[in-house]
Amino acid sequence: MGNPDYKPDHKPGLKPKPKQKLKIGKLFLLFVLFAVIALPLVIFKAFSVNPADAIAKVNTAPVLDFDHNAGQLFRTYNGTTPSYMEGSSTSRTLDYYYSLRQYPGSPPFVPHDLVVEKGVEQTCLSCHEKGGFTQSMNRFTPVTPHPQHTYCGQCHMKTVTQTLFKDTDWVSVQPPRLGRSELGGSPPPIAHPIQMRENCIACHVGPGTVVPIRVEHPMRGNCRQCHVPEETKILFTRNPK
Amino acid sequence: MPIFSFLAYPETRMKTQLIKDLSSMQYCEVKPSDNQDVLILLTDTPDEQTNKDLINTIKELDSLQSLSMIFGHTDS
Amino acid sequence: MTITRRNFIRSMALNSAAIAAATMFPGISFASWKPIDLPAGSIQWSKTPCRFCGTGCGLLVGVSGEKAVAVKGDPNCSVNKGLCCVKGYHSVQILYGKDRFKTAYVRKNGKMVPTPIKEALDLVAKQMKASIDEKGKDAVSIYGSGQWSIPDGYAASKFFKGCIGTNNVEANARLCMASAVTGCLTTFGLDEPMGCYEDIDNADVFITWGNNMAEMHPVLFSRMLANRKSKTDVKIIDLTTRSTRSSLAADKSIIFNPQSDLAIANAICHEIIKNNWVNQDFVTKHVSFHKGKTNIGYGTEDHFKFKDKQENVDFEAFKTFLADYTPEIAEKISGVSAEDIKYLAALYGDPEKKVTSFWTMGMNQHTRGTWINNLVYNIHLLTGKISSPGNSPFSLTGQPSACGTVREVGTLTHKLPHGVVMKEGARKMAAKIWGVPASNIDPKPTYHTVEMFRALDRGDINFMWIQVTNPMVTMPNLRRYRDGAKKDGRFIVVSEIYPTPTSDVADVILPSALWVEREGFFGNSERRTQHNDQLVPKPGEAMCNTWQLIEVARRMGFEKQFPWSQETYIEDIWNEYTKFHDTPKHRMAPYKVLKARSGVQWPYVDGKETRWRYNGKYDPACKDDTFDFYGKPDHRAWIWLRPYEPAAESPDREYPFWLNTGRVLEHWHTGSMTRRIPILHKAVPESYVEINPEDAKDMGLVNDSKVKISSRRGSLVMKASINGRGNPPKGMVFVPFFDESYLINEVTLDAFCPISKQPDYKKCAVKLEKV
Repeated sequence: MGNPDYKPDHKPGLKPKPKQKLKIGKLFLLFVLFAVIALPLVIFKAFSVNPADAIAKVNTAPVLDFDHNAGQLFRTYNGTTPSYMEGSSTSRTLDYYYSLRQYPGSPPFVPHDLVVEKGVEQTCLSCHEKGGFTQSMNRFTPVTPHPQHTYCGQCHMKTVTQTLFKDTDWVSVQPPRLGRSELGGSPPPIAHPIQMRENCIACHVGPGTVVPIRVEHPMRGNCRQCHVPEETKILFTRNPK
Repeated sequence: MPIFSFLAYPETRMKTQLIKDLSSMQYCEVKPSDNQDVLILLTDTPDEQTNKDLINTIKELDSLQSLSMIFGHTDS
Repeated sequence: MTITRRNFIRSMALNSAAIAAATMFPGISFASWKPIDLPAGSIQWSKTPCRFCGTGCGLLVGVSGEKAVAVKGDPNCSVNKGLCCVKGYHSVQILYGKDRFKTAYVRKNGKMVPTPIKEALDLVAKQMKASIDEKGKDAVSIYGSGQWSIPDGYAASKFFKGCIGTNNVEANARLCMASAVTGCLTTFGLDEPMGCYEDIDNADVFITWGNNMAEMHPVLFSRMLANRKSKTDVKIIDLTTRSTRSSLAADKSIIFNPQSDLAIANAICHEIIKNNWVNQDFVTKHVSFHKGKTNIGYGTEDHFKFKDKQENVDFEAFKTFLADYTPEIAEKISGVSAEDIKYLAALYGDPEKKVTSFWTMGMNQHTRGTWINNLVYNIHLLTGKISSPGNSPFSLTGQPSACGTVREVGTLTHKLPHGVVMKEGARKMAAKIWGVPASNIDPKPTYHTVEMFRALDRGDINFMWIQVTNPMVTMPNLRRYRDGAKKDGRFIVVSEIYPTPTSDVADVILPSALWVEREGFFGNSERRTQHNDQLVPKPGEAMCNTWQLIEVARRMGFEKQFPWSQETYIEDIWNEYTKFHDTPKHRMAPYKVLKARSGVQWPYVDGKETRWRYNGKYDPACKDDTFDFYGKPDHRAWIWLRPYEPAAESPDREYPFWLNTGRVLEHWHTGSMTRRIPILHKAVPESYVEINPEDAKDMGLVNDSKVKISSRRGSLVMKASINGRGNPPKGMVFVPFFDESYLINEVTLDAFCPISKQPDYKKCAVKLEKV
């Protein structure tokens, strides 16, 4: 090739190996090496994926979903700062809270505009998973007790008109009243069913909560230690056999 | 002894004033709500005339918007 | 108009207005005023220990007029610092169930006839005399409780052991803490934990061995959560056979096969030695090595006897023994991955981490309960993580006074308040303090609880006095013992507060005073004794258990030993009792101090509580300021070589499921008190069987489906609970035992640990059928 420093790397008299094939050979070797390293990783990852979990995530609807999500509360407790727990903004009232719902426990409708930017809806969880102050609405956001369900629009919609199609006879029950302690000062029972509402901190703690149900002692950690649900209204009687 | 209970609705933004006015009146006991603009008023007078006069006085209060009777008991 | 009628009309007026307001304004609150007419007079707050679990929270009970109306946590009590759990907050309501016993009842022609209590006591004494005359002193027995107050247990021990001269004295703590006791005695020579609750605030790692603290010791669990939140890198590891609320709170939950905790603990020791994490200095100076018998049986036959034989060995022998417990071998036995076992070992072995291990019934109600207690102590001894703040193998107690009464007063067949009946010195000391001849005290223990009920069934015992416990719900293999108690010629006296399946088989029911209706003492898990005054009057003819015993003892001729007056007998008993413990290793606080303070720990030496025992820095009973395990003659803690042995009855082809039993947060034991508290009953009204969701699917079960649970001993139809607060693994079911309509103990097995004699309620084999 005309390079004065070129040193032939072969014994004189032998034919040199074609350089092209050597390059391909090296490339091939490299690819094989890569595959050998990557393949076990891929297989390992595949085996560690639980198909049931994966399917469940897609359906986002656990079949029997009550009283086994206590982990949420404990994780939130760990993850919430003390300053958030002491938040005491007074803007959300019980009246307003119930005005967003058709009946106690129904999914509230969305009381604010849904901004569609560049054709992509803003994700609700960006504000509603952890709460906080939102400048655009000048208030603290309420926190959802069930962030594991990520398709929000399935249940929560925006009202676009106040007029009804036809009048209705619909009435519902009274929401549970406050102050239901059995004894003066004793911890009141959980006033609502706990399905999808096992994360007490979401609604009862922080600046975005409804003021009359805000709790003054969120640092205690294990709410269910003192506050129990009410599964029946019938008192105990003995049935000796 | 006439014993009556009422729901008392204050004029706009005059709830604290109404509580003060009613608490200072004889024969009256006030139980204010802490999340609504309404109070429970209990009157416990020695006779019917005093009761009538008391109710009329209460109705004159500036801070009171309206008074609805819930429960009444007289001894006749 | 009388004043009460006027008050009534006033409260009607107010309540009507409140209802009208609520109708018009949903969610209205009158938080500063509760529409309930409180009796005239202010509320008086007085301290008491809580009536329920072994945490031993301090409460302030609010009394208005003569009724207990409210509860606060006692901020002066270091146990709970003003916080309680739902049971504690509503505990005063246990006093006011409508069917409370207010008079005595005697069975005449098959019916229970109300009888004045004096007459009933006469009858009890008469029957006792008749039994003793006919069959000797060992024909009578008393079965008491870890919910006995300390004077109750003391009077029972003095009466039966000192005066009558029988060792037929047992308590239900045999069914809950006996393995913890024998674990302590075999490892340390002295009973009860060496640490205290302050360990919770100091530890970096918490490992719970088969217990569900979020529901069973909730206030301590909250302290753990608070510790974890306040510091970075605090871990809670839940080692369990079933997923519970505690598992959901833990950083990591590791499920193991029942009984395989023995293999896991040994594997952890294996790893600690292999990785050179042993605290060599500590082990050389303060530990010795021992082994006992193996293949020790399960006690399911009558007259089963076992006596262990100890043999000194050394560290090398321990290493050789552990060669059979590599993490890989333990993985095969336990189903826990070797990686997880190594992870646990690394937590224990890390010299920078303070580790606290907690356990309760998972390790105690175990056919090798003594062994597994020894093995967890082994881990802490190998690493030297013991008797110092945060480093703590801590056995949690189930009942409020299993420690205070049963363990410290010694209401078990072989025990005296100090020492055991087999030792002459202990007998002489008891005889002197009790004012009885030393020959009265029998040097031979008779029966432990299971054997005592077997003796009742066989007829060797024909008189049993049951106080403050409900064995006709809680005895394992229940059908035999209930039928045994109902046989002809058996005379059963039951001191109770409410009708229960035990009072249903009684010949005499004596109405008892409950908790704050009598002055008393409880002693909790961390060696803290707490005193309460009588705060409310006793209903009807109800009589304190201690006084019932005294009345019967006097009728049997023992006035000299029970001379005290009703005004001062509790204080007098305390002063006499504390004479037994008058050394720096166990001294109890004087009456005045206990009356004034919200709980005092023992040893109480020169006005100071010993918070960490066996560590000379904190314990004046040590001979210098390093570690001194003075319970043992060689002043060392004993590491025991204990192998894995399988459960008494494991699942097989015919009975393919494990049956596990236990409690829920809201209900206490057999529910006789908590089910009469409205809020607790409404939270969990009925018992159920927890089934794994996959197993349920295979059987076509959904929530509330009826399921028949059968074992070789009995069967029960219950409703299924799937995906509730607890989730057993595949092949296991769990039933809480608080509901007397579902006597799950008819299905369980009366196998027990041969050393502690404590039955195993967590493991037997059942089959399930859809009904």
